[in-house]
Amino acid sequence: MKTLIIIRERDYTWLRTVFPDIHPLLFPICNKPFIEFLIDFSILAGSEAVRIVSDGSLIDVEEYCDNGSLWGTAISYSSIMSMDDQLAVIDKNRRFCSEEKILIISGLVFIQYDKLHDYKSLFASQPNGDLLVCNGGRLSLAGNPPELQKNSPLLSLSLIALDSLDGYYRLCMEILGFASSPYVLPGYNNEAYCHIGRNVVISKSAEIRKPVMIGNNVQILEDAIIGPGAVIGSNVIIDRKSTVTESIVLANTYIGEQLEVQNKIAAGNMLIEPEGGICITMDDPHLLTGIKKSGSVGSLLQFLVHSFAALLLITLQLIPFLILSPILTIQGKWKKSKNIYYTGTVGETLTLTTTTIERRGFISSLAAALSLDRFALLFSVLRGHLAVIGSSLELASDSNTTLHAVESWYHAGVFSYAEAEEWPVSGGDKAIVERYFAVHGNPFLDITMTIKAFFNRIHETNTP
Amino acid sequence: MIIREKICNNISVITLQGNLDASTSSILKTFKPAAAATHSLVLDISGVDFLDSSGLGAIVGIARKQRDQGGDVLLACMNNKVRKVFEITQVFKLFDIYDDVEAAIFNAEQKQSRS
Amino acid sequence: MIFHVDGSTGKKLGIAELNGRLDAKNSSELLTSFERWQQQTNLIILDCSKLDLIDSSGLGAVVSCLRKAIEKNGDLKLANLSPKVSMVFELTKAKKLFSIFPDTGSALQSF
Repeated sequence: MKTLIIIRERDYTWLRTVFPDIHPLLFPICNKPFIEFLIDFSILAGSEAVRIVSDGSLIDVEEYCDNGSLWGTAISYSSIMSMDDQLAVIDKNRRFCSEEKILIISGLVFIQYDKLHDYKSLFASQPNGDLLVCNGGRLSLAGNPPELQKNSPLLSLSLIALDSLDGYYRLCMEILGFASSPYVLPGYNNEAYCHIGRNVVISKSAEIRKPVMIGNNVQILEDAIIGPGAVIGSNVIIDRKSTVTESIVLANTYIGEQLEVQNKIAAGNMLIEPEGGICITMDDPHLLTGIKKSGSVGSLLQFLVHSFAALLLITLQLIPFLILSPILTIQGKWKKSKNIYYTGTVGETLTLTTTTIERRGFISSLAAALSLDRFALLFSVLRGHLAVIGSSLELASDSNTTLHAVESWYHAGVFSYAEAEEWPVSGGDKAIVERYFAVHGNPFLDITMTIKAFFNRIHETNTP
Repeated sequence: MIIREKICNNISVITLQGNLDASTSSILKTFKPAAAATHSLVLDISGVDFLDSSGLGAIVGIARKQRDQGGDVLLACMNNKVRKVFEITQVFKLFDIYDDVEAAIFNAEQKQSRS
Repeated sequence: MIFHVDGSTGKKLGIAELNGRLDAKNSSELLTSFERWQQQTNLIILDCSKLDLIDSSGLGAVVSCLRKAIEKNGDLKLANLSPKVSMVFELTKAKKLFSIFPDTGSALQSF
């Protein structure tokens, strides 16, 4: 038997809007990524391979799960289109499904099972069709029907949709409530109702009241009280005298002194009330903040290389700029406008003066060919605000005020990678090229690309 | 890069083998499917070892041509390397992708009869 | 911050409307205004219907106002807390210090 896990963007938009940085399949439920529960269940049900299928990006999931060797199963991935129904999905994965029986888990749904029960024989004898259905998705069987078809009741198995923060919260609290968990959960479980991870430092005067789950690298300072009913993620600090009861604290969160977290979900600097789904963002570092992971070293090299390239270009363009721009300004072909753009760092915007040259006549064509309209922007590279080559500048508008409208790979540049290539025709094409080089680029390749972009602009008939 | 074409039930199946990059993508760009074939064709990329931005451009270009004529390009058999490039650039959202060539051919026929 | 005295219940009760955010930048302004209002009456209600967000310094200011009111045998009550502002009060345990009402009317009646 094989398992097909189908997850569509529309199933998880609600979760992605609240937590844009975590892929919903990797979202922790009691400190265990959601996908792991599904993988555990597949193996329990007798599946020898798992394929994860989505109409959205699965890069993060693939990075985490890899080929499935960690769980002793084979995991593969494929893409579908949003409008594909279950039959179309199976068709697109025909080689995977081949002659086997297929267990299909569709939607953002949590399967409530018990690791001690025997599901292998149960699934082996079930006929095809929907086994369990809920408003968020379904569990069904397809493919080769069994020889012995018994429609036996599905004991000890149920399905809940993960469709709201409240639902998520209640699920975690429910799992906490089991003395001996029906699921394999992370952490040392020497006592009932208690799971504690590695490198957890608990002050002598702090109190832990069961049931409680604590992740790795957690610090609980003096006189703090954790629980009853607390799930603490990894890399969390609970400062002095604070209490966390009936709440979930997600990874990388700092909870300040003398605070009372009751019936909440705390994630970074966000505090959420599950029942109403009310989220607030805290700016106050004394209350709640996110704990940031260390930045990359490679960015310094990139800055140096890009600044070097910018300096070269500035030297090359300086004299033409000084001669031609005054002439064009008098002719009225040199137009400047000041706008706000995204830079690529979360929440950061930049006010830039961009120039457009009207290509009419010899002088203006020459100026445009030498990319003199980008001259002023090169100085922003030296200041570290822009890359010399990257994604094309995106106007920050009210409709996409959060950076998440602009994706995580975005890094604004004076030139765009798309300008270095000849094939892009539409905005969509440009995005493809920019995404490709955001991942496959390196500072030295960037110099080559900048030169290519520069030369391409010489031949261009219309300045964008 | 080697490019081969065969016709199955009037559907042109183009198989690529080797690297699809700046030096070889022009071969695909200038390729003309056989006149007898329909506007929907299948592109088998299981043999592609390496794919870069210009390679993507060639695939997107050929799809655009076919779609302008009322057809489509269905992709078959992505290996891991190619799939990752499609994921990162989000090009996967533009194509129907099959893990089996026969399934791709069948669906290309369906698309053709519907158009 | 708009302040007016309401005599509808027969007692002189002050109602102050807080606007926008109450944070480090304007929390001292609240304290000085409060002392001014105390010259008119010692029974004050803070109407928080237009209050978007409050941080630790804002909370500190409100708690100081409560203390000032009690020192002069008065009281400070809160009305119309939005769910977001309410969560911040809950988080810092400040909720326990105050009498909180869903609207100004019930707050007025409570004195």
